[in-house]
Amino acid sequence: MATTPAHTEILDEGIGEFRQPDPDGYREWVRDHKSRALTSKLMTEQEAISRFVEDGDYLCYDCTYLQRGPSSLVRELIRQKRKDLWVAGKFTWVMVHLLIAGGCASKVDCGFFLYGKAIDRFVQEGRVQIFEYSNVVMTLRLQAGAMGLPFLPVRSFGGTDGFRHSGAKLIRDPYTGQPINIVPALNPDVALIHVQQADMYGNARVFGTGIAHQETAMASRKVVISAEEIVDTEEIRRDPGRTSIPYYSVDAVVHAPFGAYPGECAGYYASDPAGVIEVVVATLTDNLDPYLEKYVHSVANHQEMLEKHVGVAKLLEMQQRVATREGYRP
Amino acid sequence: MTRATAFNEREMQTITVARMIEDGKTYWVAGAGSPLYAILMGKKLYAPNAQYMTEDGVIAPEPMLPFDPIMSMVSARAGYRALGWATMNAAGNHAQIGLMDYGILNALQIDQYGNINSTAIGTYGEKMRRFGGPGGADSIASLCWRTIVMTDQEKRKFVGRVDFISSPGFLDGTPGAREKAGLPRGTGPWRLVTPWAMYDYNEERRLRLIAVAPWVTVDEVLAECECKPAVADKVETLEVPTDEELDMLRSQLDVAGQMSGIERSGWIIWDGERYVRSEG
Repeated sequence: MATTPAHTEILDEGIGEFRQPDPDGYREWVRDHKSRALTSKLMTEQEAISRFVEDGDYLCYDCTYLQRGPSSLVRELIRQKRKDLWVAGKFTWVMVHLLIAGGCASKVDCGFFLYGKAIDRFVQEGRVQIFEYSNVVMTLRLQAGAMGLPFLPVRSFGGTDGFRHSGAKLIRDPYTGQPINIVPALNPDVALIHVQQADMYGNARVFGTGIAHQETAMASRKVVISAEEIVDTEEIRRDPGRTSIPYYSVDAVVHAPFGAYPGECAGYYASDPAGVIEVVVATLTDNLDPYLEKYVHSVANHQEMLEKHVGVAKLLEMQQRVATREGYRP
Repeated sequence: MTRATAFNEREMQTITVARMIEDGKTYWVAGAGSPLYAILMGKKLYAPNAQYMTEDGVIAPEPMLPFDPIMSMVSARAGYRALGWATMNAAGNHAQIGLMDYGILNALQIDQYGNINSTAIGTYGEKMRRFGGPGGADSIASLCWRTIVMTDQEKRKFVGRVDFISSPGFLDGTPGAREKAGLPRGTGPWRLVTPWAMYDYNEERRLRLIAVAPWVTVDEVLAECECKPAVADKVETLEVPTDEELDMLRSQLDVAGQMSGIERSGWIIWDGERYVRSEG
């Protein structure tokens, strides 16, 4: 029988702050808080954010303000003035900027975000602390969290300065004897995920490619789904292979048509180029306050935002520009 | 195929990479900009059986053209007619088991050992300009067998040591540095292509100039490198674009002129005897 060293040999480690993995704590949370019963979780965006997002939470959303992101939920979160969030900035674009400008986020784990004057100033002023990862390293941290593990080994990230400013460690692999990097599991407090279809229990369908909607849902203590369309559970049962996220990981379901506005939701509508340019310019020129005033604070909710600042004509035009439905509309 | 008489040097850069695409191989490509243009042009004109993936897990797509300037990963246009739709961890795992032959990336700053910075210019944590982070580039540069990097030929972008290693090249250049850092054996930087030149890496894992565009000399290229690369014994001359390549790039890919717009500097004109560069 091979002997295993009494202590794992740590060859190098990052200095970045990170949430300590706690797989048993997470299991107990899941035991005590995730409803096993088929009960309706339908609620308004106000109720979902108010009940499930708390100050100081670690927040993870999937996709971006440009593609199938939970944009209406993020705007509601800013409207309700959540504070001191730690945000998983994997494969993001401008949502990090909106959350910092809105006074909601104070820490970001970076995979990728749009650069520009706004984020540069937030960093210089110390309004946000950034810890360095990559997109795939972040989704592997979520994978570890979704598997109930404390960490995962990764074959990327080694030797970078990102490693130095992260929670990663380089250890000697006890099996091969070679150096291997490990990254800490991520179990966010709350996840926001926008999907094409869900039933009232939270069985959710994502069509097209995605970032880590399944891992994010399974790894997160509280999961809020917004859906373009609420479908009957019989429709879910008719084609179970299409269920991306099972009901028992979900805490709230919000019906949010055009919930990804100004971005695209594949199969449902194309993006609004003018709306996209508006948020990009606000981010690049560090002028996000007027943007937030218009799209978040001056309206009571998502529906009022669509009525006042987008309008039916544009929404219909966005639907018309959907060029393909293959794979997106079963 | 006729040699073009007027083109932008950035068009030349994309076309140079498009011609390097190897048929029957797999590419993990940055999801926007010139790396994506290069693989699409390579597939259309020279290597129909080259396949590519982006980090959202789209496998071997045939995206809708002409290219929508605000098209991004996860969009229906980008994922059109793919052979598979997966997610980011699938993309990462496919590369991690060795399925991706090549990666193609853009870099903000690069150093003599091919390390890439996309995080911050200046002293990290102190006086710096913050950029967007590696995104998928760290995985591409770590896990693909060979990495092709595209960047501008500017003095301040070719340095001895990048301000921040976002994505790994040969790290400090010592033998086995990547393996000692836990990266897979046999991977690493392969070519660097700028609008003026092409580089490979020598036995010391340092950048080496191997070809220059016909409108510049070796000395002019070296003047635009803060840290001087090695120079091959014989430096080749890069072929200029053909009209067919430019037509594809302009009418199908860079339709908004983001690369070739008239206000972009670095136009190359055939004056009847030779190619000359004019600013703007």
